[in-house]
Order: sequence, then structure tokens, then C-alpha cells
Amino acid sequence: MMTDQSAPQIHLWAFLQGIGHYPSGWRHPQATPAEVFTMDYYRRVGRLAERGRFDAIVFGDQLHSRGAGGRTSERLAMPTLDPVTLLVAMAAVTEHVGLVATISTTYNSPQMLAERLATMDRITGGRAGWNIVTSAYATTAGNFGEEQMPEKSARYANAVSTVAEATRLWQQAEVPIPQGRPVFIQAGQSGDGRDFAARTAEAIFCPAATIDDGIAFRTDLRQRIAAVGRNPDAVRIMPGLSFILAPTEEEALAKDAALLELADLDLCIEYLAESLTVDLSGQDPSAPIPLEHILENTLAPREDIAKVLAGPASKGISLGDFATAYVRTPRGHNVFRGSPEQMADMMIRWVDAGACDGFTMQPAWMPGELELFVDQVVPILQEKGRLRRNYPGKTLRDTLGLGPLEADLAA
Amino acid sequence: MSRAFLLSVSTGDPRLNDPLWARSVLSAAEQAGIDLFVMGRPDARPFDAQVILGWAAAATSRIGIVAAVPAATSHPFHVARALSAVDFLSDGRSGWLPLSGDSPDGMAEDMVAAVRGLWDGWDPDTLIIDKASGRYLDASRVRSTNHEGPFFKVAGPVNAMRPPQGHILLVIDGADPVGAADADIALVSEGQVLPARRRLLKTSVDSDPGATAERFFRGEIDGAHFELNDAMADIALIAERFGPLVDAREGKTLRQRLGLALEEFA
Ligand SMILES: Cc1cc2nc3c(=O)[nH]c(=O)nc-3n(C[C@H](O)[C@H](O)[C@H](O)COP(=O)(O)O)c2cc1C
Repeated sequence: MMTDQSAPQIHLWAFLQGIGHYPSGWRHPQATPAEVFTMDYYRRVGRLAERGRFDAIVFGDQLHSRGAGGRTSERLAMPTLDPVTLLVAMAAVTEHVGLVATISTTYNSPQMLAERLATMDRITGGRAGWNIVTSAYATTAGNFGEEQMPEKSARYANAVSTVAEATRLWQQAEVPIPQGRPVFIQAGQSGDGRDFAARTAEAIFCPAATIDDGIAFRTDLRQRIAAVGRNPDAVRIMPGLSFILAPTEEEALAKDAALLELADLDLCIEYLAESLTVDLSGQDPSAPIPLEHILENTLAPREDIAKVLAGPASKGISLGDFATAYVRTPRGHNVFRGSPEQMADMMIRWVDAGACDGFTMQPAWMPGELELFVDQVVPILQEKGRLRRNYPGKTLRDTLGLGPLEADLAA
Repeated sequence: MSRAFLLSVSTGDPRLNDPLWARSVLSAAEQAGIDLFVMGRPDARPFDAQVILGWAAAATSRIGIVAAVPAATSHPFHVARALSAVDFLSDGRSGWLPLSGDSPDGMAEDMVAAVRGLWDGWDPDTLIIDKASGRYLDASRVRSTNHEGPFFKVAGPVNAMRPPQGHILLVIDGADPVGAADADIALVSEGQVLPARRRLLKTSVDSDPGATAERFFRGEIDGAHFELNDAMADIALIAERFGPLVDAREGKTLRQRLGLALEEFA
């Protein structure tokens, strides 16, 4: 087999939180949903990610309440344990893999963040990353004694000053922090979000359903990064990638269909409702998407929701069909269904086309689908010289190949 | 079950941030049969003990792990979640020690009430996880918290879960006593009286184990607490001198092993 040692390395992140990325994934016969509350599970998947030579394990986080007041479906209201706790626990049973925690700047003071993340970087021996988010769900406010969540632009302005203040605290820290500070990561789509990423992020997590989406996003971000005087090559763009693997494409499609069968129409609509933060119970699935109702009642910014719905609504697609299709491309991320060889080829094609620097792997169900990836796709990528066989160093910064700390970031 | 003699230690040593040092100290304490390892102290906070606790949950298997949690720089929603996760990952071996520090009067008490309220928003056995029916949990067993105290207003419920211990073990320190009427454990200095189900006397590794044992049998104290200075050496001495006072422990969670099951409160 041809190996090209000079070809760009593919970066891999593992998004391992919860029960997998299909809302029906936990119902897979081999899924182990109850284990996501046990240390055994995190030991197993942490070591698996490290065996697959992933840069990092990444966890999202939401600070709103689910399952209260009957709005959230009994089948979707998955409790999520605190991501920092899960990640540092995995640090104790792994040696190299980075650990990226999503922490909101809207509901943490700079002091809380600085101390929490400094501790995380120290106890993990320099493997900490911070996915800097501003929170998206309006109902989060009530958990922090506030009536309303600040507007998005105010949240991003606060993010800028919070990161600057935390950076100042890290620079003054008495106990050395292995990486100086955690690696900065960003996930956000709006203009404000992208500008924030351009100034601050060393890696970016985003959805990109197609290779063209990926190229457009990465090109835009690289331009924004260059425009603020930073080197675009020092930033990794890591779109989400859900996947279903089987020996042949046909078998993968059948496996996918069987898994999606477990999500009935009601569940699909509930999943969509939760994403749009709007109550869709009582809506007729066979009627057109109730665009007016949704825009009037959503708790999310209307323009964001309109962006997702305007196209399908204008085509007269029914609510049921839209919800069913939505579940098939979870939250706008790419979904791969096929053989290990096809998957490796697809990943290489995306990277070589400039659509991304790597992928945030989102197994459709856990842990079996991740095991398949590590056992069957990782060796192919390694054979082709596109995935390292060993970790280059100890810290997440080394693993991401980021080079020295950019001193003026966030200053 | 007879009353157990409890052994507890604490450290605010910044080296607890260092995985190599932390691993050796925690494992020595565990080998020594120490019941509780308190991370952080009222007068020293070089780290966020809740973060260390998550790591310690994976790095230990028997010892009770307790985080000092300062009211001034914590929020009940974050605290309830972080500690719930630690309790899951440690199989019910965790505790917390709220600190008032220089926060306004009553703030730490408000934090304790809010955090407990968030845990109580989830009934035990809320999860169903039935693949056949597709029911993951019973939503009728999850309630809003609506805590409104003088300092914290929290709608809830917390998006975590009720910890395996129900409420993780509540420890208060006589050096910074938080006014909880129903603490599980109080770390008291000589002559100090604090309401708690068990009182551990803060003493030194050089004190007389025989005299300590007598006070335990008279019911004056329930065990001993040591602040580690030279951690490895102190732990070795504690094991040698006070270890013989400790009987075998039975039970799954820390509460059960220490005879402090939550049901006794009801
Ligand atoms: C792929 C992706 C993942 C995200 N994950 C989280 C998350 O886990 N927690 C969170 O609070 N916000 C998350 N966000 C929200 C963003 O961080 C951002 O604060 C919010 O979406 C509003 O900004 P935007 O319109 O720029 O995306 C995510 C956004 C994207 C695009």
C-alpha cells in the first residue's frame, strides 16, 4: 500500500458523551446505556480513544434543566453528568489523550473558570482543553437566578472579557500550569461566534453536513483568522462526524435503517422540538412545518431557527417528514454509512479538499460503534500514513501540533 | 452495627494538583485504612478540590473523598452537578466540606440548602432505561427545585442525577463552621461543640492513641482527624498508631460503611 509520509495528518477527536449521537442509539441491542453512570465505562472508552490515537476526548455541556414540567420527552431527557468530572476521571486512567471540557462563560465567573481549568490542566498533566461556549438554551437563566439570558452579542462580548480575565489570572498563578493555560477551543456558528473563534480559538468544533459545507466554513474561518493577524495553520477545524460502519455499504445502510427504526415518529418530533426549543406536541405530523408557531414560541434566537426551517418550509415538506429527516442528520453534522475502507477514503478526501483538519467522531451508539472505528478504520488511516501511530508528546498542545503558545491571544 | 472509630485526614498542599504526588498520597492513605481524605482547607485553596475529586474517584477504590467547596466562588448548580458525578464515578464514596471563607454571613448555609434541594429534585430510581419500550426515565420523578434563598435563586432541577448516596456526605470544619444543623461529620478541636452525627477530634499524630480510644468508648468523640503536614510520613504514623482502632468496614457506599445511611434522617 502507498504511504505518503508528507500528507497531512488527520486529527481525531472523540465525542463520547452520553449514549451516542442517534436519539435511538441507546436502544441498539449491544448498547450499554446504563453504564454511562459508571467509572468502568469511562475507563473503557477513555482507553479506547487512546488506542485509536485520538487527540482528545471532547464533551459538550448544557446548563438548562431537562425533564421538568413534562415538556421534555421521557425518552430524551437524558441526565448528563458534569463533563469536567468525567474528563478528569478519564485522565486518571489514560496517559496521552487530551480532555476538552465545554464550559460556559455566561454562567461562570472568570475566577471560577480560571481555578477550575488550571486545576484540570495540572491534574491531567497538561492535557486540558476548554471549549469556550456562551450557552444557547434560554431556560438556563433560571438556574442562575436570572429572568432572561443575555442576547447573543452581549454573551460573546462577555466571553471576550472573561477569557481575557481568566488569562490574566493564569499568568499570575503561583503554581505552574503545565500548558500555561488550557488549549482554547470554540464552537459557534454566527458571525459573532466566528469572529470570537478567529481571535481566540486554537481548534474549532462545528457541524458540516457535506464536503462543500466544510470547505465553505474552513475557508471563511481561515480568512477571519488571517484578518486578525494570526496564522490559520495554527488552528484546527474539526467538524462532527457521526457514523455507522459495516463490512459493506449495503449492510451499513441496513444497520442504519434498523437503528433509525427504533426512533418512531413521535420521538423524531420530540427530538426536533428539543433542538428548536419549542413545544411541538399537538402539531399534526402530516401538515406542513408550522413555521409561524415555531418562530413565535421558540426560546432560541428566531433568526437561527428561521435559517434551519425556511428552505424546507417553503418546499411544503410535512412536519413528520422533516423531523424524520432531521434525526437522520443529527444536528447538522455529517453522517457516514459504509465500510471501513470507504470511511477512511472519505476522511482523507475531506482533509485533502480543505474541508477540515480532522473530525470530531460522534458514534451513533456506544460503545460498539467506536470500537469498530478504532479496530477497523484507524489501522487503515495509519497504513496510509494519515494517522500517527504514537503520540508526539505529553500535552494536548503537543498532540494537536499547535506549536508555542500565542502570547497575545485574548489579551 | 457497632459504632465505628473513624479516621480522617486533610491537606491543602498544592502538590495535590500533581498527579504523581496525589496518586502516591491517596494510595498510601487508602492502604492505611483512612476513612476520609479531605482535599482543601479553609486557609489554603491552591486548587479546585471538586476537580481533584473527579480524578481521585478514578484513582482510588475504597477511601472516602471529600472536597472543600468555598461558598464565595461556587454556584449551587455547578456544585450539585460536579459532586453528583463524583459520587457516581466513585460508587458512592464522596463527601463535601462547605467553606464560608470570607463570604457574607449565611451564604454557605444557603449553598448547602440549594445543593441539597437540587439533589432532591431527582427521586431515587428515576431511570428506567428500557430498550424494549424506549422509556429512558420516569419524568414524574423529576421536579423543579425553585430554591429561593438569601443568596441563591435556582430553578432546577439539576441536569445531573441524584447521587448514589442520596446526599453526599456533609462534613463541617470547626475552623470555619458552616451552620448546618444536620451535618454528617464535624471536625472539632478540643472542647468545641458542633451539631453533627459524628464528631472527629482534630488531633496530632503525636497524641496518645490510648487516650483517644478511651474518649471514643466514652462516646465523647467518634474518631480522629489529622491535618497532614509531611503527608507521607504522617500517613505512615497514623496507620501505625491509630490504625489498630479501626474495625473492618461493611457496606457499598461511604454512608453505609460509616453507619450514616441517609434514611436515618427521614
Ligand atoms: C457544533 C456546536 C456545538 C456546541 N456545543 C455547545 C455546548 O455543548 N454547550 C453550549 O452551551 N453551547 C454549545 N454550542 C453553542 C455555541 O457555543 C454558542 O455559544 C451558541 O450557539 C450561540 O452562538 P452561535 O450562534 O455563534 O452558534 C455549540 C455550538 C455548535 C455550533
